[in-house]
Amino acid sequence: MIQAENLSKKYGNQQVLNIANLQIKKGQSLGLVGNNGAGKTTFFNLILDLIKPTTGSVKINNIQVNTSEDWKPLTAAFIDESFLIGYLTPEEYFYFIGELRGQNKSDIDAFLTQFKDIFNDEILNKKKYLRDLSKGNQKKVGIIGALIGNPEVIILDEPFANLDPTTQIRLKKMLKKLVKDKDKTVLISSHDLLHVTEVSDRIVVLEKGKIVKDLQTSPETLKELEQHFTTG
Amino acid sequence: MFKKFISLEWKQFFRSSSFAKNIFIKIFMAIGILTLFMYAISIGIGLYFGVKEIFPDKDPFILVNKYILFYFVAELLMRYSIQKMPVLQIKPLLILPINKKTVVKYGLAKSLLTVFNFIPLFILLPFSIILMLKGYSASQIIPWFIDLYAISISLHFLTFLINKSDTFFYTTLIILLSFIGLEYFHIFKISAFAGSVFLALSKNPIFALIPIVLAFIAYRSAYLFQLKHLNLDQINSQNKEVKTADLSWLNRFGKVAPFLKNDIKLIWRNKRAKQTIIASLVFLFYALYFLNMSKHMKGDGMIAFAMVFVTGGFAMTFGQLVPSWDSEYYTLLMSQNIKYKTYLESKWYLMSAAVIVSFLLATPYIYFGWKIYALLVAGALFNLGINSHLVLLGGLFNRQPIKLNEKAKAFGNTQGFNMTNFLIAFPKILLPILLFAIPNAIWGFKAGILTLAGVSVIGILLKNYFLNKLEKLYIKNKYKTIASFKEGA
Repeated sequence: MIQAENLSKKYGNQQVLNIANLQIKKGQSLGLVGNNGAGKTTFFNLILDLIKPTTGSVKINNIQVNTSEDWKPLTAAFIDESFLIGYLTPEEYFYFIGELRGQNKSDIDAFLTQFKDIFNDEILNKKKYLRDLSKGNQKKVGIIGALIGNPEVIILDEPFANLDPTTQIRLKKMLKKLVKDKDKTVLISSHDLLHVTEVSDRIVVLEKGKIVKDLQTSPETLKELEQHFTTG
Repeated sequence: MFKKFISLEWKQFFRSSSFAKNIFIKIFMAIGILTLFMYAISIGIGLYFGVKEIFPDKDPFILVNKYILFYFVAELLMRYSIQKMPVLQIKPLLILPINKKTVVKYGLAKSLLTVFNFIPLFILLPFSIILMLKGYSASQIIPWFIDLYAISISLHFLTFLINKSDTFFYTTLIILLSFIGLEYFHIFKISAFAGSVFLALSKNPIFALIPIVLAFIAYRSAYLFQLKHLNLDQINSQNKEVKTADLSWLNRFGKVAPFLKNDIKLIWRNKRAKQTIIASLVFLFYALYFLNMSKHMKGDGMIAFAMVFVTGGFAMTFGQLVPSWDSEYYTLLMSQNIKYKTYLESKWYLMSAAVIVSFLLATPYIYFGWKIYALLVAGALFNLGINSHLVLLGGLFNRQPIKLNEKAKAFGNTQGFNMTNFLIAFPKILLPILLFAIPNAIWGFKAGILTLAGVSVIGILLKNYFLNKLEKLYIKNKYKTIASFKEGA
């Protein structure tokens, strides 16, 4: 579903990402881990064609992202708060995304009912603009927004950060359900090794822009990762 | 403590990441402000002689007294719409052992350093000096000068009390307009009444104290108001309930509808964007100035230029900041299921709608004769067919992010202002003049109108072609735009 070939990004002399080859199959859920500055967000930004690759290219469904816009209908993402429109209410934001993805108001209303426990009565019908919500609640809106319209590829940058423990657990449950059906390709980056190993069936470790580990998730994976980051 | 605050602000100014980038603009603005002061001083010097020249039989001092009320109401409106309480970075200060009173006093003291306090000073002072040189007694003029300046300072502090009330703004505006109306149609001479009041101030030493007391009361109330509101609850407007409006009637516009709905909310809910509406209303009256001023110049290129502005206010003020309006969430738009062209097209529709609305509102220009009205029509067509595309082309070079929820400061803030904007403005100004004035000079008025309208209609017909070209250029600039929006955020 996603192919990165010979992909690199340099700022000045500093190489921030260098991936020789990475293939992500349809239906796979991939967890991206790595310390600060490892290149996780850079990689996501390259997939979404928000920055220009120094070399190489990314293809989604065999569409090269920086030459065609046809990958956009398949793909949804939440990277940071610049994916939110501050002067809209959460409902209006969902409707807006819905309209872009061919969903009408009632589709969205029906879609939103399944996230009632994640929203925890703090999001909908509050008559507040997104910019006036707390950071955690903004994040919830962004993540749910990225699920609208049944996208085939979902990219979430640090979805667990800034969320309260209850929501982290509920979000994890929801993501697990999402990847179980194996029809969506999900990319998640996280600093929380426990959460990310539970949700993903493949873990890629980035270090200074390079892939240093590529593991199929198994009961031993968490231990191995902890070992890696303790000695690393 | 004040010293420390000043040193903090010094650092904030010189260490801001945009400092080096903006130094050119800052110099440019400093020159602009100096020019403004020069104008004010020359008005102050010229006022006496100007009045003498136009009304040789009237006493300039009495005449100025009569009309100064209008000036003050206008000043209040100006101050309200542009002046801003200088924001100290109060969040880190609130928890430090600094007296709240000191913070507020510093804020108010700093606020005095606005252009608005210098302009009346630079007008009044030379005028008063000339009055005294011309034989008015100093014992009359000096208290008068102090009083008028005290009124101006009262208005300064009053702005902070009313800063959040739109009702106040519109009420004052209506009062000003009705004053002018009453005066103009000779129903009630408010000027005569106001004139005697201001004259009384200068004659009776007890009356003379009133404005000074007023200024002090205004300062005190502003101080107490700010002190009461100096906590974080007031900084965040979290508790306000939001009103939503149903805009689904816009759905008939198809693919561009979601963007149109968004842009309307953008304009309605953000201070910075709302100002463009006010600006475009002001532009509606722009041509009146030229029409009144130059009776002998009628049919000239300048009038054509002015008539283009009448319907083009919104397209220029809003349009020149596309795509900066969307800078806060530009990455979302770039990764969503959107064709760039649809995005640009929605902006085109929005500007066109504004041109048509302005055109309808400008119908009264028909009063000036069919020639002016023909120019209005041609100007509107120009805005639809040429200007809208030029404005979008200008946006290509505009990578200044906008913080939506902040009012544009009159002179301190450079958000959304850059040199390329300035350069791209030239064709917008020159084209209508050239398209109209040259054929007009050679073949007469009809030829001028037909050329201007004809070229514009071709522009409308080529809309898709232009938008396709623009789309390519915008996509080419995509990474740069994203990067600079991010940097400024």
